[in-house]
Amino acid sequence: MVVPPHEPGLKHAHFRTAGLPTLLLLPQLLILLFFFFIPSLRALAQAFLLADPFGATVHFVWFDNFTALFASESYRNSVWVTIWFTLGQNVVTIVVALILAFATDRVVRFQSAYKGVILLPYAIAPVIAGVMWAFLFNPAVGPIAFFIKSLGFAWDPNRNGSDAMLLVILAASWKHICYDYIFLVAGLLAVPKSLMEAAAVDGAGPVKRFFQIALPLLGPTLFFLATMNFVYGFFETFAIIDAVTHGGPAGATNILVYKVFQDGFVNLDLGSSAAQSVLLMSFALLLTLLQFKYVERKVNYSI
Amino acid sequence: MNAVSLRAYVAAGAIALGLSSHAAVAQPVEVQWWHAMNGVNGERVDELVKKFNESNDQYKVVAVNKGNYDEVINSTIAAYRAKRPPHIVQIYERGFMTMLLSDAIVPVQDLMDKTGHKVDWNDFIKPVAGFYAYKGRLAAMPFNSSSPILYYNQDQFKKAGFDKPAETWGEFEKQLYAVKKSGASGCGTALATDYHWSMIENYSAINDQPYATKANGYNGLDTEFVYNKTLVVPQVARLKRWLDDGILQIAGQGFSPEQLFTSGTCATYFASTAAHSGIERNSKISWSATFLPWEEGRQPKNSTIGGAALWVIKGHKPEEEKAIAAFFDFLAKPETQLWWHKATGYVPLTNKAYELAKSQGYYKESPTREIAIQQLNRGTPTENSLGFHFGNFTQSMFAQREEVEALFAGKKDAQQAMDDAVKRGNEILRQYERLNKGKY
Repeated sequence: MVVPPHEPGLKHAHFRTAGLPTLLLLPQLLILLFFFFIPSLRALAQAFLLADPFGATVHFVWFDNFTALFASESYRNSVWVTIWFTLGQNVVTIVVALILAFATDRVVRFQSAYKGVILLPYAIAPVIAGVMWAFLFNPAVGPIAFFIKSLGFAWDPNRNGSDAMLLVILAASWKHICYDYIFLVAGLLAVPKSLMEAAAVDGAGPVKRFFQIALPLLGPTLFFLATMNFVYGFFETFAIIDAVTHGGPAGATNILVYKVFQDGFVNLDLGSSAAQSVLLMSFALLLTLLQFKYVERKVNYSI
Repeated sequence: MNAVSLRAYVAAGAIALGLSSHAAVAQPVEVQWWHAMNGVNGERVDELVKKFNESNDQYKVVAVNKGNYDEVINSTIAAYRAKRPPHIVQIYERGFMTMLLSDAIVPVQDLMDKTGHKVDWNDFIKPVAGFYAYKGRLAAMPFNSSSPILYYNQDQFKKAGFDKPAETWGEFEKQLYAVKKSGASGCGTALATDYHWSMIENYSAINDQPYATKANGYNGLDTEFVYNKTLVVPQVARLKRWLDDGILQIAGQGFSPEQLFTSGTCATYFASTAAHSGIERNSKISWSATFLPWEEGRQPKNSTIGGAALWVIKGHKPEEEKAIAAFFDFLAKPETQLWWHKATGYVPLTNKAYELAKSQGYYKESPTREIAIQQLNRGTPTENSLGFHFGNFTQSMFAQREEVEALFAGKKDAQQAMDDAVKRGNEILRQYERLNKGKY
């Protein structure tokens, strides 16, 4: 057994031999092995190859796939697009989720209906959500597009890259707000009533109480959510991009994960696609490490 | 459906058949065909296979829809690498070089010779046979071939004072502006999702413009794109102008450009002849179709094909190869060709089938169904109009589309966009050449 005998806590108390915990972990480990570790290793190997998709001809090309990526304008574009997209999505999601969570306490009637409506988008399949957003904002037929144009704004996500970026940020955020919302509502509930009451007695209004007391105490939750939002933006927004813009126009919404798919699955350029997925995973790892190293320090965990 | 559950399903079906018939007939040899036809055309494929299976009791073809063309080629690759490939796969024309140099196929002409089937390959129409041939022999069995044509709204053209679209781009452009100005329709033409095929690639072929060196890739892997030095540049500039002037409309995601035409929003639509079935079913407008325009003062050449062909994956048993050959023999029959042509809108692939359609008076009742085949057969194909044989053609096509979108967004001018498209395309060609050196 790996746990040293003096270590306190649940592990030691409940499992005296390695057999049962190993058995319980086995299904999860097997899933990870077959769906994560083996594919990752194969992607890593593929990243150094120039290969025919059928596998007939394979050349070992060292780092050629990587150097080609760094030299490629469309790849650099994709990196920037991903940064803007994940940042935008993060800000929109957290701010809206915060407002909604803050408002939850103030909704007196139909509070459960209010919560239910906010949670609905999470249950909608990303592709369906994407098609719906694409349609509502389609300049030829979409009612919301007509409304925007009637206000005098030019709106054409089919031609204008920033419009398209705005659209996918909104669509991706809309889908993810409910996730953040649940955690923030729970976080707000955990804020000690005594602190809030004391502040209220001292004459602080609800908004001031929120910013001065609740928000700092939500630090760990916000930090956790920011990390989760980045992971979501990096990896899980594929279906939304596919349904709303196909990465266009002119690559304006071609985020890294979509480019991996496009180059590997559609263009059958397996070496480049594998190299991209290796880089993408490194970015995500790096970002997570940076977040824990620098951002986490400033978070106040104790109440 | 994966291979295992499919086999279980087929086995269950076979047992059920055996029980119900009580006959001790030998089981027919069964071959798997993975295809990309869905919707109406998917039903047609099922009918086609049923016809073949009922026409003989030796062989049986099982047709499985594997999604769209991308999904079929990916499933094929995965199955081949797992050493469980199907017998026949339907691969789009852009995948020609990928399949040809894959080492995973049996050239169809070799297969037919080996199994003793006599197919009159010379009877296949030139742009089709020419496209799927390698060193003079067919590598894949032509199946669903199409070509883009120009659909138009008759009422809107009449209202603006025109009988039909003009033959040349210059005149046609004036008409579209006039149609919009007259108020007959708010938009001149809807940008099809495969516009690169009709408005850039076929434009080059019809106007006899070189798209790349080495006869558009037919004569070597060291081919290089050159369309940034041809009429393609003013052509994409024209599209940008149309877009700015509201003549051209992009349908965008979540909405089909075909609907812009069939609903009467746009007066014309450049699309495959295979769009016939959809337009016939959905439109409430009075429409007709005509040839793609060409540039004034030019002798228009033939257009090129789109669609897909059937490839035979190697490594199957001799009796299964016989079954494949028998199925292909059936497909090549003029009667089958004609039925497929009528049922789907794809072109008949042999001259015999075409003659048969004419002799039955089919084109008198459906004149627009003849346009694509006439356009494909027009004149003698040149090096510029025979078709496009580029490795990783899907990839360079997407690069080109991105550059055209940059032009549409106003980020680049037409020359810059096409220069960049050619540059990116050539990098893709060089990578393909490096991989397949000495194989072509």
